[in-house]
Amino acid sequence: MSKPRVAIFDFAGCEGDQLQIVNLEEGVLDVLGQVEIVTWREAMKEQSDHYDIALVEGSITRKGDEERIKAIREKAKILVAIGACATIGGINCIKNFQDEKFVRRYVYGDKAHWYNTYAARPVSAVVPVDANVHGCPINREEFVQVLKALLQGKKPFIPDYPVCVDCKKAGNVCVLLKGQFCMGPVTRAGCGACCITEGAYCWGCRGLVDDPNMDAARELLGRFGISAGEALGQIRLYDGYGEEAR
Amino acid sequence: MGSPSPYLPGLATIMKIEEQTAMEKLFVVRPNDGKPLGHKPGQFVEVSVFGVGECPISVSSAPNKKADFEICVRRAGNVTNALHNLKAGDVIGIRGPYGTHFPVEDLKGKDLLFVAGGLGIVPLRSFINYVLERRKDYGRIIVLFGARTPADRLFKAEIASLARRPDLEYLETVDVGDASWKGNMGVITTLFPKFTIDPKKTYAIMVGPPVMYRFAIAAARAKGLADDHIIVSLERKMKCGLGKCGHCQMGPVYVCQEGPVFNFAAIKNLEEALS
Amino acid sequence: MGGDMNLAIIEKEGLHLFVAELLRRKNTVVGVKDQSAVSSIPGDSGFYTYAPINSPEELTLSFDVTLIPPKKYLLPAYEQLLTFNLSPGSIKADAPKEELIVFGVHPYDIIAINQMDKVFSTVPQDNHYLERRKRTTIIGVDPVKIAPRAFWSSMGADTVAGGFDLMLTDIGQCYVMEVGSKKGASLLKMAPKTREAAPAEVKERDKVRTEARKRCDANRLSFSYLELPSLLDGKEEHVIWEEKSHLCFSCGTCNLVCPTCYCFDVRDDVSIDLKKGSRYRTWDGCLLSDFAQVAGGGNFRGHRADRYRHRFYRKGQFIYRRFGDIACVGCGRCSAQCPSDIADPIAVFNRLKEGI
Ligand SMILES: Cc1cc2nc3c(=O)[nH]c(=O)nc-3n(C[C@H](O)[C@H](O)[C@H](O)COP(=O)(O)OP(=O)(O)OC[C@H]3O[C@@H](n4cnc5c(N)ncnc54)[C@H](O)[C@@H]3O)c2cc1C
Ligand code: SF4
Ligand code: SF4
Ligand code: SF4
Ligand code: SF4
Ligand code: SF4
Ligand code: FES
Repeated sequence: MSKPRVAIFDFAGCEGDQLQIVNLEEGVLDVLGQVEIVTWREAMKEQSDHYDIALVEGSITRKGDEERIKAIREKAKILVAIGACATIGGINCIKNFQDEKFVRRYVYGDKAHWYNTYAARPVSAVVPVDANVHGCPINREEFVQVLKALLQGKKPFIPDYPVCVDCKKAGNVCVLLKGQFCMGPVTRAGCGACCITEGAYCWGCRGLVDDPNMDAARELLGRFGISAGEALGQIRLYDGYGEEAR
Repeated sequence: MGSPSPYLPGLATIMKIEEQTAMEKLFVVRPNDGKPLGHKPGQFVEVSVFGVGECPISVSSAPNKKADFEICVRRAGNVTNALHNLKAGDVIGIRGPYGTHFPVEDLKGKDLLFVAGGLGIVPLRSFINYVLERRKDYGRIIVLFGARTPADRLFKAEIASLARRPDLEYLETVDVGDASWKGNMGVITTLFPKFTIDPKKTYAIMVGPPVMYRFAIAAARAKGLADDHIIVSLERKMKCGLGKCGHCQMGPVYVCQEGPVFNFAAIKNLEEALS
Repeated sequence: MGGDMNLAIIEKEGLHLFVAELLRRKNTVVGVKDQSAVSSIPGDSGFYTYAPINSPEELTLSFDVTLIPPKKYLLPAYEQLLTFNLSPGSIKADAPKEELIVFGVHPYDIIAINQMDKVFSTVPQDNHYLERRKRTTIIGVDPVKIAPRAFWSSMGADTVAGGFDLMLTDIGQCYVMEVGSKKGASLLKMAPKTREAAPAEVKERDKVRTEARKRCDANRLSFSYLELPSLLDGKEEHVIWEEKSHLCFSCGTCNLVCPTCYCFDVRDDVSIDLKKGSRYRTWDGCLLSDFAQVAGGGNFRGHRADRYRHRFYRKGQFIYRRFGDIACVGCGRCSAQCPSDIADPIAVFNRLKEGI
């Protein structure tokens, strides 16, 4: 059996260092030794090249993106959305920001970004997606898990429970007990609660679980003096598209 | 470890695969140690596809002196899909048999009303064939079989020969027919007006999807069957089959231990049993 | 000293030496530490956790409650059960090999371990758990600090008769050390500066315990915990389940931090070349939305309120009917760590008792 051919595409992606993520993925792909990477993304032609698995980064932000992603979908046997921008749309990934002032600026700032232009949306809003590798940035281990599952022909295990589960297994002190707030209780697990383990809190970069308890989330944020509008902003920060859709 | 792991499956080889419908395949499985499973009708095994996972599957063949046994699997997710992708000669893992079985001994001499909805025929087939191998030990036998559409009917050839038997009454229906379907249409309870029973002598044995039970039980009660004359087999999520993982709980009951076969009278007041 | 000492006295300094001796003999000892010492997050100070210790100084015996109960050593958050080759198919079981001394376990947590022992030794036995249990030495300690949300005093969990190898009680200048097993007796022989406890010291231990119990009574069940199974009868439709679960995140925290919760999921993992793999189990919880969900999307406990209720029935009635134990020992971990503060068993049970 010849090795599955993998192509990487990117759309409107991280404002952070995209290349780093791509390098990470390709590094992982090399380690896997199970696949053949067919083209460097810059040189990629959606229409002509032959590939089995398409890894798609970035969100769909323009009408023109739609045609491109549809062409990719048609060619690829398996299409995987990689990273928060691709999986949940969100704002474009901003890595490692833990700065509360930024959030406030964001929440209170020009919201036009959300409503005027063609709102950024996840890949799945335009074409069916076979698997999502959530996170901003993605978790390398999870990426490998997903790829292995796809190569085995199985549906990857993507948790549909909150980050709190990972957080408990990691043995962390819940930041709520320390008077900080946290998006963990409504955010999809799978990252191992890495931010909490490292002393921060969860910003919700993996998007919401399928059935988040938004009443409880509002109540929780309210306890920290954050209003419903701000709470919504918190969610929009990463899962704006999903939130609007709801 | 001083004692063996209860999670360690025995290896088994797929001897034969038969496509039943677009969704279901029948597998003939032979344990590599050559020993018969030793199951009773209604019990299940945990089937492993290594690297994919494990899931509970009913044994569909009647107990037998031979090592070969049969399972019939609907593709529903990872493990079942993986099973469908295997071919004869491939090796899988088997643990079990687990769970309670149909009360084959207690029912000797009784009239039996089998109610099989969809995949429910799979475990019932084990019992029906068991009874037919000992036909004179049991009283009257009525088999009701309901499928969604004609294309979803399992064990077509076997069922056809069943239907021809003089010592058994066979009635079937499909929810939705097609151009070629000449038989009954409607849910399985629409078959109940078509026969009479002696409720004192008769036991109903029902296996089907969760929605079936409430209606089928009401229909059986309407025929005068007491609750302890109704036997059901219930499905729950299962991760261990050993009464440990907690997934199969139904109130205080662990379905993998006290079930899957239950006397309806024993569970009818359980909050979560048949909702 | 006497060979059959059942209640010994060990000086504080002696205890120090005892721990040092255990470490010197290459035992793996886990004990309670301040979380900040483990996580390096300064704000984590004041929370406690079990972690390996390398010197007696690292050990805390005056903790109130740990974040995660010692079950993590008996039923690890992730535990490999089997390893296999994909083709040709072959498979073998993984056996736990480490010996472990858990130093400093409160009575309520020992009771929880005793309950787990029952669950996993019920036929069909779970030998993975039992093997780990056999290889684990438990050194208990009576609480001196009471966790703000603890209510073990009203759950019959203030003292424990068995399940430990040694049990320590701080009576001021020294500890009373009770021997609970043969293993404990031989460990005691390793301990320097021990002597048989005098009757007055045994009385002092009673006093210390009564004192702690009284302080723990600040939160309490308003009735005898043995009434729980009958109290819960017929309360399935009570408004409290809907009302309280309205704020439930289905986050499973109340399950995962509970010393008596033992549910798990089983998953397969494969190596990077897809040739080998392992099967492991990992903590699961009945509050998580897909806990009872089967292929095709059917969910036998699809409603938040049903899951929320299930846990309280498990604690107060189901486990009792199955194993004869009330499956809440009053550690207060769920109460303290639930993000919506709706998991507190006494809040729910007392309200059911009031009948409103
Ligand atoms: C006692 C019993 C007997 C059964 N007999 C048969 C049979 O004869 N033929 C057949 O086709 N199916 C049968 N099933 C259903 C079958 O077990 C599920 O379809 C199967 O578990 C789906 O697993 P999966 O990995 O393919 O799906 P996934 O959706 O990938 O499942 C993930 C995991 O969830 C668990 N799970 C999901 N659905 C179920 C379920 N319905 N029951 C129990 N666990 C579940 C499994 O542990 C599985 O590994 C039976 C179920 C039970 C409880
Ligand atoms: S810190 Fe956040 S993710 Fe962790 S348990 Fe608390 S709320 Fe959940
Ligand atoms: S803890 Fe939250 S913010 Fe951090 S990686 Fe996980 S989901 Fe993203
Ligand atoms: S800890 Fe609280 S919010 Fe989380 S599942 Fe339990 S009751 Fe619900
Ligand atoms: S239910 Fe809560 S208080 Fe009771 S033992 Fe479990 S975690 Fe502790
Ligand atoms: S309360 Fe829930 S998670 Fe805990 S043991 Fe019971 S069923 Fe399992
Ligand atoms: S399947 Fe694990 S307890 Fe029943």
